Amino acid sequence: MRLLAVLFAFFFANAAWADCPLDLGRGTGLVIFSDHYMIAFRPDPLRIEVGEPFALLFNVCTKSGSAGELVSVDAHMPEHKHTMNYHPSIVSKGDGRFRAEGLVFHMAGHWEISIDVRAGEEIERLTHDYYIK
Amino acid sequence: MRWGPLTALLLAALAAPAEAQAPVDWSEAEIRLVGQHGPWPPPPVRDPSNRISDTPAGIALGEYLFNDARLSGDGLMSCATCHQAGRDWSDGRARGKARADLDRRTPSLWNVGHSHWFGWTGAGDSLWAQSIRPILDPEEMGGSWARVARLLREDKDLACGYDRAFGTKPDSDDERLLVDAAKALAAFQATLVSPRTRFDAFRDALVAGDREAAARYGLPEQRGLKLFVGEGNCNACHFGPRFTNGEFGDIGIAFFVRPGEVDSGRLGGIAALVASPFNLLGRYNDDPSGTSARRTQHVRRLHSNFGEFRVPGLRQVGRSAAFMHNGGFATLEDVVRHYSEVSPDRLHSDGTPLVRPLGLSAQQSTDLVAFLRSLDADPPTRPAPPPLCP
Repeated sequence: MRLLAVLFAFFFANAAWADCPLDLGRGTGLVIFSDHYMIAFRPDPLRIEVGEPFALLFNVCTKSGSAGELVSVDAHMPEHKHTMNYHPSIVSKGDGRFRAEGLVFHMAGHWEISIDVRAGEEIERLTHDYYIK
Repeated sequence: MRWGPLTALLLAALAAPAEAQAPVDWSEAEIRLVGQHGPWPPPPVRDPSNRISDTPAGIALGEYLFNDARLSGDGLMSCATCHQAGRDWSDGRARGKARADLDRRTPSLWNVGHSHWFGWTGAGDSLWAQSIRPILDPEEMGGSWARVARLLREDKDLACGYDRAFGTKPDSDDERLLVDAAKALAAFQATLVSPRTRFDAFRDALVAGDREAAARYGLPEQRGLKLFVGEGNCNACHFGPRFTNGEFGDIGIAFFVRPGEVDSGRLGGIAALVASPFNLLGRYNDDPSGTSARRTQHVRRLHSNFGEFRVPGLRQVGRSAAFMHNGGFATLEDVVRHYSEVSPDRLHSDGTPLVRPLGLSAQQSTDLVAFLRSLDADPPTRPAPPPLCP
């Protein structure tokens, strides 16, 4: 509820983002944002299994309304300080939509997904914590 | 009286086994972790990169080829020379011996069809690509494309078996015939699934809440399992129904194979994978969707790959004669001692190390070995393969 309230307030305070399409085909996924970006994403398949490849689908929106680009996606386990054994590739689907392919969480536990985006020269990194059992 | 201390000692001696036999309590979280190691057996493998995978004709042809010494350069060695059915699809040696003495242990083929990387370093990304390597390796079978192709074309039974498996007669493309022979070998090897074990009966009972059935599993095994999924954190890598996440790790085994020579492990494996014309990005992948090549396409070469080797599955582990990629340990007790005493200096991890000295007590070590042995079971006798073309 708290998260919804924050999101609700956030959208109304940032009318430019009201048009940001959060629907990722099978409902809205996870939403993360910074001062400049709002990113909705979800795994494909929806349930991530340990050791199984998956993709992430993204909608990248900017506060200014300019086109946002997904530059790179990666993940690591902060506790063990190791990355994935795979380097995801990114395909633009147009209109701020992207698909990152080739992710594998090869162990159960806490993974931090890092998402690098830009809408101009500067790259900004947003992160999301994911726990896989 | 001098009986007091003696009585106390006797009571302590009697109490010790009673304490050791205390029932094992399983929390919901632990039951979930144990449940992840099943169910067993898994569904049959269907490899989309191999068009004769899981087909009776492909499996039959593969079994004949597996046992055919004519695949080797001197006609003296078949796949079954090192991967012996009676030795759990390995050879009972600490390190392999083919045309030359090898630096690594011959891995068992149990459950190999469910892997996604093959060989100790993952130099193969499919079971059929991996099956080509020992045929051509001059230190192993020392064969050639031409020799394998000629065998498929000229041997009446094999040519007929090929026709049945692939729906066409062997043609003049030697390289393709070698790949097809390897695809038949893979189809056969993918059928080598280890039997259910005492652990599986316990796992199913625990998940189903059947206390009576669960109680048939010994207490040492239960304590060892609890350690495996708990304090030992062994399931971080030995994950899932096969007890492996299929990836690679450095567990503190010596890098050197002899003075001045190291085995680079996964680092060299990725280089070999990328260089192979038979990897899943090449023209022999039968999967038009490209899904099967996803790992190969995205695999990342890391400095930390140096000295990493594939995490082996643990089913039938106690039936091996030696352990680790280099056969460096003779017994399961030696393996458990290694994990109990491994040097953190050798592992130089930046974060919380996945492998650390567990400092196990004698009781814990015994329990862990008991659990590992509960992953073993006698396989049923294999019937002789049916005639290829009766």
